[in-house]
Amino acid sequence: MNNGKKTEYAYKVAEHVFTLGFAPELELDSGAMLDNYAPFAYAGEYPALFTVSVVKSPAPAFEEETRQDEEGQQILCGHTQGNDAVFEFRLQNRTCGTLVCNGDYTRGTIHLTEFAPKFTINNSMMVLYALATSRYRTALFHSAVVRHEGYGYMFLGKSGTGKSTHARLWLKHIGNTELLNDDNPVVRVFDNEIRVFGSPWSGKTPCYRNEDCPLGAIVLLSQAPYNKITRLRGIEAYAALVPSISGKRWDRKIADGLHETENALAMKVPTWYLECLPDEDAARTCHSAIRVCKG
Amino acid sequence: MKLKSGFVLRDVCGEQVIMGEGIGALDFGRLLCLNETAVFLWKKAESAGDFSVDMLAEALCEEYDVSAEQAKTDVAAIVDEWKKVGVVE
Repeated sequence: MNNGKKTEYAYKVAEHVFTLGFAPELELDSGAMLDNYAPFAYAGEYPALFTVSVVKSPAPAFEEETRQDEEGQQILCGHTQGNDAVFEFRLQNRTCGTLVCNGDYTRGTIHLTEFAPKFTINNSMMVLYALATSRYRTALFHSAVVRHEGYGYMFLGKSGTGKSTHARLWLKHIGNTELLNDDNPVVRVFDNEIRVFGSPWSGKTPCYRNEDCPLGAIVLLSQAPYNKITRLRGIEAYAALVPSISGKRWDRKIADGLHETENALAMKVPTWYLECLPDEDAARTCHSAIRVCKG
Repeated sequence: MKLKSGFVLRDVCGEQVIMGEGIGALDFGRLLCLNETAVFLWKKAESAGDFSVDMLAEALCEEYDVSAEQAKTDVAAIVDEWKKVGVVE
């Protein structure tokens, strides 16, 4: 740091350290902007896996490669002439800000606008976190996750399927259950176990818990006029997981890293398909099928 | 013809699977399982770049104990499947 006025913070999420620095000209209340990161503040040893600077200067021009459009939010992905990766975030087609990062995703710059700075920072951090950790058997999921008797249970599904609703049914009807994260938990494959971690990102629910536990099961949800649960194995389990994991699969190094993680999960974590109603019986049907019995 | 770019052959839980990962293949939205013969042909087609049914049938005959006629029928069926799902152009 050559500028004494720049404010820099360090965080540790799922045991990966990163830093976030604010340029002095921003005049943002970085405390309020970063309240969801506070439980993840880290005062230990560096080096960080990646570092991010937040600035006010305009984003560089870039060539678009592809774009994602979901629930009124767009991400335009591309690269600059110098081959830096670029992600422009839009809400209802209005640009909020842009993340620019180097080829191995170890350094990023977030260019803010006046519009939705917190949204931009969180989305940029999620993108960079997912990419920078992809080669360390780590996956950032789109999922709600509950902890029940020491194990994490993850609920996956397309937007609007009722992941959060199903998690709430567990909280209400299954004893000893708490919410670990409502939207973006992190999963890590270690040599001897697989763990799920809370994160600073949790969708609309402020549930930013710096806690983790062994992953007990993964459940893909689908709405139906009945409750029925089926075990998925091998390639079916793999196919159920992949759409819920963030990545940039057209970058071969990222795709290779994610594939290794996804394959390990499909082979080692019991994975289920739950066709369900939003009712108490759905939670009970699910719980009795998937709960880990400690022997 | 040739294999479209962006499709990758991977080992998924012990099975050989084609998936769409590149720009332009991201909307493939499915996993295509290949048997042993199809894997052999995919790898041949990949290294050849531009390929034909005859070329792959010939390679199949060199590798496996199969008649030229049978090889051509088998290759044509597999390549038809690839055309149908849209992984060749």
